[in-house]
Amino acid sequence: MEIVKCTGRPNSDKDQTTIQGGTQSRITLELALEPDENITQVHVDIPEGTQYETDDLAVTLLTGDDLMTRTELTFDLAAEEDAFTMHFDPAIADAGHLNIIIYGVYFPMGGGDMQVGVSYQAEGTAPVTVSDIPVIHVEGISGPEALSQWLEEQPWVQAWNENRFLHLFFDPTILVTSFPVVLTGFFMSLGVVAVAFPLAIPLGLALALMRLSKVAVVRGIATTYVNLVRGTPLFLQIYVAFFGLPLAGIDIPSFPLGVTVMCMNSGAYMCEIYRAGILSINKGQNEAARSLGMTRAQTMLYVILPQMFRLVIPNLTSEFIVLYKDTSLLAAVGVMELVMYARTIVASTGSITPYIVAALFYLVITLPLSKVTRHLEERVHGGRRRRRSTAATEKGEAAHA
Amino acid sequence: MKKLTGIWKKPAAIAATCALALGLAACGGAPASEGSQAGSAAAAPSGSMTLEDGTITFATSPDYPPFENLVDGEYVGLDMDLGRAIAEELGMTCEYTNIDFDGIIPAIVAGGQADAGLSGISVTPEREEEVNFSTPYYVDNQAVAVLNTNTALTEENAAEALNSADITIAVQSGSTGADFAGENFPNAEIVTFPNFTDAFAAVQAGQADAVCGNLAVVDQMLSGAYTDQHTILTSATGEEYAIAVSKDNPELLDAINEAIATLDENGTLDELIAANMG
Repeated sequence: MEIVKCTGRPNSDKDQTTIQGGTQSRITLELALEPDENITQVHVDIPEGTQYETDDLAVTLLTGDDLMTRTELTFDLAAEEDAFTMHFDPAIADAGHLNIIIYGVYFPMGGGDMQVGVSYQAEGTAPVTVSDIPVIHVEGISGPEALSQWLEEQPWVQAWNENRFLHLFFDPTILVTSFPVVLTGFFMSLGVVAVAFPLAIPLGLALALMRLSKVAVVRGIATTYVNLVRGTPLFLQIYVAFFGLPLAGIDIPSFPLGVTVMCMNSGAYMCEIYRAGILSINKGQNEAARSLGMTRAQTMLYVILPQMFRLVIPNLTSEFIVLYKDTSLLAAVGVMELVMYARTIVASTGSITPYIVAALFYLVITLPLSKVTRHLEERVHGGRRRRRSTAATEKGEAAHA
Repeated sequence: MKKLTGIWKKPAAIAATCALALGLAACGGAPASEGSQAGSAAAAPSGSMTLEDGTITFATSPDYPPFENLVDGEYVGLDMDLGRAIAEELGMTCEYTNIDFDGIIPAIVAGGQADAGLSGISVTPEREEEVNFSTPYYVDNQAVAVLNTNTALTEENAAEALNSADITIAVQSGSTGADFAGENFPNAEIVTFPNFTDAFAAVQAGQADAVCGNLAVVDQMLSGAYTDQHTILTSATGEEYAIAVSKDNPELLDAINEAIATLDENGTLDELIAANMG
C-alpha cells in the first residue's frame, strides 16, 4: 500500500488554496493498493489537536483502468480522539485506490504542518506504516475569520440573523470575512481605472480632433470608431477582446487587456464630450484668433482647447465614475476585480452580503466624486458669469475713459 | 448628472431615500415572521411555497450539461429528469425557473422565486448554514482538460505538472472544480469564470492552460463545442450533489428525501444517471 495523496479542503475566502485552522475542512486520503494485498485493517492517525467527525466517514475503493469505478466499502469502526481504525471483513483484495474522506475536520487554530499517519495490516501479517505521506500546510486562523466565528456566537448577531432580509443582505459574520477579500478586488478595479482613464484622455482628444477634421477620410475613421464603440454594449466588446484577440495571435495578459478595452471604450465617450466642448465655444473666438494671424493649430492649442478643458471637467469626472463602475463587467472574463471576488464568495456561501460589501466599495469612490463634480460644475458656470461681468465693467470703464 | 448631484442639495431627498431603504428592509423581513406565502405571492406569482398548491418549482442554472441545459427551450439533463421524477412521485407538477448559479441559494433563502434549488449543487458546510440539503443523488468526478496542441501537459505528467506556478487553470466560480483545483493544485494560478463555458473558451483562446470541472460536464463540452481539447486527468472525488431546500420548509425536504429514496430503491435514479451520462 502506497500513499497517492493526502490533502485538506481549502476553507478560506481569501483564495482557492488556503487551508486555515479552526474552520471546517475535510481530509482526503488516497492509497494505492496492489492486487491481493488482502487488507484487513487500516489505522489513521489524525494530526494532534485536530478535531474530526466519523459519522460521514466515506471509504471508497476506486478500481478500473482509469480508477473511476466506485465501490463503497463497509467496515467496523473503532474511533478514538486522535485516531481511528477501520476493520474490513472481507479483506480488500482488489487492486485500485482506496479513497478515505474524513469530514468535519477542524485543524488547530494556530495552523502549522499537519502530518496524517496511516498504517495497515494485511491478513496474517504485522502492521505496516505507510511512509512519505505529504503534510498538509495549515495557516493560522485569519483575523476576520476568528472575528466572524466570535460574532456568530453573539446573541445580538443571532437575533439580527433571525430577520431574513438582514441575514441575506447584511450578515455580520460574512460581512467581516468578505471585507478583506473584496478589498483586494477594490484595488484591482481602482488599478484598472487608474491606468485606463489617463490613457483615454488623449485618445478621446485625438478622436475629437479627427471628427472635427476637414479631411473626410480622417473624419470617417473617427466617426465609425466612435459609433461602433458607443453603439455596442461594453460587455460584448470585453468578450470580443478577451476571446477574439488571442485567437488572432495577439496574446496579452488579462490586466493590460482589461485596461485596453476600458480605455478604448472610454475614449469614444470622451471624444463626444470634447467635441461638444469644442463646438460650444463661440465661433467668434476662432475667427478672432485666425484674423490675428494664428494658424488653425495654434488657434486650437492656445485658444479653444484651454477653454474647452475647463468646460468639460465635470463631464470627465462623471465619465470617470461610469468607467469605474463598468470595471465590474470584466468579472465575466476572469479578471479578479471587485465584483468577481464578491461573486466567488456569494457562490460558495449562498449569501448576498458580499455584494453589499462590493456596493460599499463602489460608493466610497462614486459618492465623493459626484459631490466634486457638482462643485466643479458650479465653478465652471460661476466663473463664466464672473468673467462676463468683469469684462462688462472693464468695457464700461474703457468707454468712460 | 444634474439629477445625481441634485440629490445632495435636498436633505429631504436623502431622508426619503433612507425611508425607502428602511421600508424595503421591513418588507423583506415580513415573510420570515408571517410564513413565506405572502412573500411568494408578491415576488413571483408563479412561484409557490406550499406542497398543497400542486406545483413544485425548482431553481436551476441551465448552463451545465449533462446536468441541466436548455435544448430548444426545453430543460434537459439528469437534474431536470430527476426533478420531474420527484414531482411525479409527489403527485405534483414540476416547474423550472432560470436563475444564475450563484443566485440560486440566496433565492431559496429569500423564498418566493422557487421551492428548491436543483442545479448540480454540491453540499458544503458554508451552504449548509444557509439551506438544508436533501439526500445526495449523485457523487461527483472531476476532470482536467487541455488543448490537443498542448504537449507540455500529458496524461502521464498531469498530476505533478498541473501543480506548478507556470500553469493557469480555468474554473467556474463556486463549483466543485474550483474546490478540486484549489485542493490538488495549490501552486497553480486559478482563474474563475462565472460561466463554465467561458472557462473552456479561455483555454481555447490561450488565456488558461487547463480547465477543471465535473467529468460528465467536461466530456459533454469536449464532444460538442470544444473538440480541440482533451482530458488529461480524471479523479473520483467525494463531492455530493443534493437538492437545496429552505430551512423554513422541512416538510418539503422530507417529501423530497422520501421521493429520492423511492427512486433510488426502484432503480429509477440509476437509470436516469445512465441515460444522461451516456
